[in-house]
Amino acid sequence: MKKFLAMLLSAAMTLTMLAACGAPASSGSDASGTPETSGSSETGKTPAASGSDSLQLVLSTTDGSTTDDKVPTPWYNRTLATNMMFRSLFLANSTLTSVKPDLAEYTVSDDSLVYTITMKDGLKWSDGEPLTAEDVVFSIETAQKSATVNAIYTAAFAKIANLAAEGNVITITLSEPYAAMANVLAQFAILPKHCLEGVDPLSIDTDAFWQKPVTSGLYTVDEFKVGNYFTLKPNEHYEGTAPKIQKVTVSFVNDYLTAAQSGIADYLYGNATDLVEAMEKMPNYTATPIDVLFYKYFIFNMKGVDGNENPAMQNVEVRKAVIEAIDRAALATLYPNATILNSGVPNNYEAYNGFEYKYDAATTKANLEKAGYDFEHTFKICYYNNDQTSIDLINTVAYYLQQAGMKVETTLSNDGTTDLFTTRDYDIGFKGKSAFSIDEWYTEYMSTDALFGNIFGGDTAFDASLQKLFAATEEADRNEALKELQALEQEKVYKVPVFTLGNYVFTSDHVKLPEGVEFCNPLYSCDMDFANWEIA
Amino acid sequence: MLKFIFKKLLLMIPMLILISIIVFFGLQFTGIDPINFMVSPEVLSANAENIEALRESLGLNDPLLIQYFRWLGNCLKGDLGYSFTGAPIVDTIAVRLPYTLELAGYSLVLSTIIGIGIGIISAIRQNGVIDYLGRVFAVLGQAVPQFLVGIILIEIFSIKLGWFPAANRVSPGAANPFLDSVLHLFLPVLTLTIGMVAVLMRYARNTMLDVLNSDYIKTARSKGIPEWKVYLKHGFRNAMKPVLVIIMFRIPMLIGGSVVIESVFSYPGIGLTMTNAITSGDYPVVLATTLIIAATMLICSFLVDVLNALLDPRVRLGE
Repeated sequence: MKKFLAMLLSAAMTLTMLAACGAPASSGSDASGTPETSGSSETGKTPAASGSDSLQLVLSTTDGSTTDDKVPTPWYNRTLATNMMFRSLFLANSTLTSVKPDLAEYTVSDDSLVYTITMKDGLKWSDGEPLTAEDVVFSIETAQKSATVNAIYTAAFAKIANLAAEGNVITITLSEPYAAMANVLAQFAILPKHCLEGVDPLSIDTDAFWQKPVTSGLYTVDEFKVGNYFTLKPNEHYEGTAPKIQKVTVSFVNDYLTAAQSGIADYLYGNATDLVEAMEKMPNYTATPIDVLFYKYFIFNMKGVDGNENPAMQNVEVRKAVIEAIDRAALATLYPNATILNSGVPNNYEAYNGFEYKYDAATTKANLEKAGYDFEHTFKICYYNNDQTSIDLINTVAYYLQQAGMKVETTLSNDGTTDLFTTRDYDIGFKGKSAFSIDEWYTEYMSTDALFGNIFGGDTAFDASLQKLFAATEEADRNEALKELQALEQEKVYKVPVFTLGNYVFTSDHVKLPEGVEFCNPLYSCDMDFANWEIA
Repeated sequence: MLKFIFKKLLLMIPMLILISIIVFFGLQFTGIDPINFMVSPEVLSANAENIEALRESLGLNDPLLIQYFRWLGNCLKGDLGYSFTGAPIVDTIAVRLPYTLELAGYSLVLSTIIGIGIGIISAIRQNGVIDYLGRVFAVLGQAVPQFLVGIILIEIFSIKLGWFPAANRVSPGAANPFLDSVLHLFLPVLTLTIGMVAVLMRYARNTMLDVLNSDYIKTARSKGIPEWKVYLKHGFRNAMKPVLVIIMFRIPMLIGGSVVIESVFSYPGIGLTMTNAITSGDYPVVLATTLIIAATMLICSFLVDVLNALLDPRVRLGE
């Protein structure tokens, strides 16, 4: 009897564990560019925030990009929460390629060197202080001296030769044309000079200001509870349309999926296979795929600016043969929204030059032999993403190369930047890059690039075409520059894109989105008509 | 006795310094550059001058020995330095440590009561239903990792049933803060408690069984002392001495164990702070939190020694 009871208890506990691990019923996902209302069913519905009158957002602290003791700063990544609080001069469209006025409107001179920006009248910060052209100048000048800002600002602001404000007009004079300037300014959050004037730009993102920031957007911080959450309330000094949602709660969490399953996330995003698969099975969430330029790519360890060469990878034919020994289409299937690439320009863009890396299992070994590859050499692969999909991908790459007769060794790095660009004990590296635009992909070829100079040897071959790209204000000029750059990158084979990884935005049925709203890359800011979002 | 205590206290100082040296230089020898965690490769590419200024301002260009002694000197003055996120570490710990102590404290009290209670009953009613169930629970409680227990509890009670929150320590705008606290603490406390109950239950059962089989218990029974008095006055008292030592040793393990539990439950205590600091390469915070956990372990070890010496005078013979 007693033993029977013990067995019964063990069986009950085992069943409990199995029940806990069971997956809810699956449902189809939306695949359009814009979100659609989910056909929500009660089956498998999680205890979502349906009883709450606030929009529930979540911020993960596990990737190190934000901490739970302050509001995330808008100069590194933009998140929905920071977009609600901080405005930029202009408002970008969903592809981040065109802008409309927000805090200001602008005109540009015929030679594309002078931007004349006129601020709107009656703008105020959340503390009631006027938001002026001085704040804009202060913000740009501070960002130029700051270390922890997004590279798109550093690159764009480096072109500024003169910056001046007079009344409500700001004049930006560039040293050379920079076609993406307005798009970059549409991402750049303006910060209040009267709050941050005395702060060291190097530590501006760690100032106490970020626990109760003065804001310019729809909302301002109402309550901040370190390590737990912060809440937002409408900014009474916002001059535009007041938001319909009166309260936003942003919780700090470790895991987006658990947050969604336990009902504290009305909006979240991600591209990880396990997250996407699990979220698509939740009927009270709508999944919206977003095309973003998140490149996953190989880099070859060639030569440092110090002249230190990796002899195994000096032959361009070997590099090409190695890439063509890998079935990149098979690798893309490991991810839910991956699109194969052959250059930094996606295949569906007008500027794509049509070149393709071809995989043919039957010829890979012969190609390597023809290229003169030394099969006694142990080919080293270095990567740093430790999620299971990345590990599977690298194991698959190793498998393909071994099938071609190569000896392969893989290393998972704890500090990818150091191992890829300083230690450099590898032949091919695998990395990711979430780019604002195609230009960012090609910027890595610049001979003066502080990181990539360490593996591409500071090659100046790309510099002239890159300048042409940055300066191109006309579509035709831009496409021509991109074609030149593609030809160069396919000739040199210093880095090879595998695919771009699309993102997904998930919204719960607790929130009702306005008609026609379009999401953009979740790490940037765009017009999402947030004032008209409603709690369902 | 005082000499014994003083000697033990003195021994803690070199131990702490040794631990600080191991942690500080161990972190350096990993070869991980904290700057790489603070800024993305794209920023490193584009912003070399400002990055160098940042490195200089954080003192990362100084020789390691200077960095270590500067840090140690500041610690002795009660200044644990600044996190790379800019917050004074003392302030961070002042907010986070009470959360962890609260979690560990409730778990300790609950697990002690439940563990000893079931352990004693199991010993008194050896091979009874409670004993069998307790032994099965003890094996499972020790065999299943705490993070897995935590995940299972979240899955059942937060996700499937929606009874308890899955993350954080407080909810915004909670109508009843006390109830809100109980709801937030319930699952993490339960997770920590399950593991510790399993250990205490087994230990209490075994020591009680040893005591109950000893000669003086037989003598007490032969004198006609009521059975409840034999259990409580003679059995329980003597069986609890080694159990108390085990409880003391479990305190640092509770705080250490909270590193995992806090991560699972996004509970903003010292453990989660440490995990996040490791993820983001925030060395000063990793150092400070490691030292705090190590110091807690040393203090508990010291208390165990003192308790042992108080309970058993033979321990002091070596002084």
